[in-house]
Amino acid sequence: MSKAVLIDTTKCIGCRACQVACKSWNDLKGERTVFSETWSNPRFLSSNEYNRIIFREIDRPDGQVSWHFISRRCMHCNDPACASVCPVGALEKMKEGPVVYDDGKCIGCRYCMMACPFQIPKFEWGSAVPLIRKCTFCAERQALGLAPSCVTTCPTGTLLFGERPQLLKEAYRRIGSEPKKYYPQVYGEKTAGGTSTLYLTAVSLEDLGLTRVGFRTDLGDVPQGIYGRAWMSKVPFVAVAVGGLCVGLHYLHKRRAEIKAEERKEG
Amino acid sequence: MAEKVQKWYPGEGKLTIGRAILYVVLVLGLISAAARLFLGLGATTNLNDAFPWGLWVSFDILAGVALAGGGFTMAATIYIFNLKKFEPLLRPAKLSAFMGYLVFVIGLFFDLGQPWRIWHPMVMWNPHSVLFEVSWCVMLYTTVLAIDLFIIGLERYGKESWIKFFRDIYLVLVVAGIMLSTLHQSSLGALFLLMPQKMSDLWATKALGPLFFCSAVIGGMSVITLESLLSSKIYKRKPEIGILSDLGKGLAIALLVYFAMKVTDLYARGATVWVWDWVHFWFFVELFGTVALPALLLSFPEVRKTQKGLYWAAGLAAFGVVLNRFNVSLTSYIGYRQFGYFPSAMEIFVTAALIAMGILIFDLGMRYLPIHRSELGGEH
Ligand code: SF4
Ligand code: SF4
Ligand code: SF4
Repeated sequence: MSKAVLIDTTKCIGCRACQVACKSWNDLKGERTVFSETWSNPRFLSSNEYNRIIFREIDRPDGQVSWHFISRRCMHCNDPACASVCPVGALEKMKEGPVVYDDGKCIGCRYCMMACPFQIPKFEWGSAVPLIRKCTFCAERQALGLAPSCVTTCPTGTLLFGERPQLLKEAYRRIGSEPKKYYPQVYGEKTAGGTSTLYLTAVSLEDLGLTRVGFRTDLGDVPQGIYGRAWMSKVPFVAVAVGGLCVGLHYLHKRRAEIKAEERKEG
Repeated sequence: MAEKVQKWYPGEGKLTIGRAILYVVLVLGLISAAARLFLGLGATTNLNDAFPWGLWVSFDILAGVALAGGGFTMAATIYIFNLKKFEPLLRPAKLSAFMGYLVFVIGLFFDLGQPWRIWHPMVMWNPHSVLFEVSWCVMLYTTVLAIDLFIIGLERYGKESWIKFFRDIYLVLVVAGIMLSTLHQSSLGALFLLMPQKMSDLWATKALGPLFFCSAVIGGMSVITLESLLSSKIYKRKPEIGILSDLGKGLAIALLVYFAMKVTDLYARGATVWVWDWVHFWFFVELFGTVALPALLLSFPEVRKTQKGLYWAAGLAAFGVVLNRFNVSLTSYIGYRQFGYFPSAMEIFVTAALIAMGILIFDLGMRYLPIHRSELGGEH
């Protein structure tokens, strides 16, 4: 029972109603934002912006320009790197899907920001008592049986909320029925071990120029967290080995010295 | 042993110009640190969402701990590998290690978003997290070092029965210290295992753990050398050139091993090395200027046996360890991030103050504790 959201970017008209819905549901402060070169606004995610629509213009072979709108937000990884690295376990993947954050635990080390392969967690730099902020997948709404605020608001059906396996099936059904319209891959199906945020795009993420702004395609299918966990699984053995070696060598040298001393006495 | 507290050095307790400067730097740093506490990280540092870790992590935490690697390196050399001739270097090494860890802990305190929660990892566990392990190891190891210094302090005040108790458990302390150091020195490198795609090929390797460990040994040995030379000058004693040039041999070997590890690793991963840009510039400085060059220098007895030669070789090697930490944690990301990062004045003040504090504490230790053998009625 793990929820996901399928974002069919071919349906998105760039109205940014989901941005607004997200801000108002989460009670996020208004900020003075700026446009990007491609008219996205805000330009960056921040502790006050959990969701933003990236605008992209692509020159088509027929000389026309096509617009693409891609919502960027937390991927809610199946096996999140952020949760794996947090020293106090402030981030956690719920079995229902969302990756949630506990305000009361976080020490503000910002390791999650370093580790998240999608660069999602943001820090409240302006506060003297700062916390980490990111999309919550509206976990508290989900607990009440509601869909996320952005999903409810979307006027075009770009955002589809449901069970992850069903959404994947639906995604491939769409690709199969209109192969010309879709790039034949679902971003998030396998990336970094799979995520609860799934994307359908018209062209590849490389062509959209998104691989450098969070939609990495070089992550492979393993969750990043396993690198840290593999290291941690060796730690106890290294500890025992180093400890044992030290004690062993110490007594070896001590014994040798004793033998020498005895020999000297006898000789 | 001393039944009354006596002065170890001529001029003990006098304020010299050097110390005055250190105190000024310390005060500047204290003001910046207070500003950081009350105004927050955003207002006082140049950290941002693209560079969540900056100068404080690179220097106070990563470099500070690596340079403090001398404590466990010397303990292992003397007690485990039984090279007793290095004994005179053990106590200064412990003192400088303690100073390094103090810099770490205080640096971390100001770097954390919620410093008053620094104790959270003690009760809120995430055994998957490398940082969780690092925080435990550092906490325990700093305690070990503090006990060590406490014993040295007891000696000055001649508390024989207490000292005996600690000597009985001394091996436990030594082994625990070496074990904890091995773990967290390498784990500090392992922190970066999770982000290979974000880092430059030059440093993104699975071998970061062992590499960090090896360079911490280098950092430790070169700091001991520098510190011994400098303190003999300041406290007007004869430099222990004989021992130091033997240590220099060890340092050369460590540098060669490290060089071989790095080159093998780069070759095995097929990293693109021969390119000219800023990132590669710092890489070349690190690998050739601060690993290969000091190793080469130390291979000449003429260099190893003179003060000047040792200064240069150890200085380069220590600088190399610091540079490596900056490269792994900052330079490595330049090609990837959308923003730049250069530390703010306040960040620099705080770091400078931490260094000043380290030196002042070291100075206090040198002046008030029996750190050198000549001051003792004989080592245990
Ligand atoms: S996208 Fe980043 S922040 Fe979101 S769950 Fe995955 S690792 Fe965590
Ligand atoms: S900043 Fe907070 S949530 Fe992120 S890793 Fe550190 S303690 Fe965990
Ligand atoms: S799921 Fe909720 S928090 Fe996340 S983008 Fe949508 S509205 Fe915002």
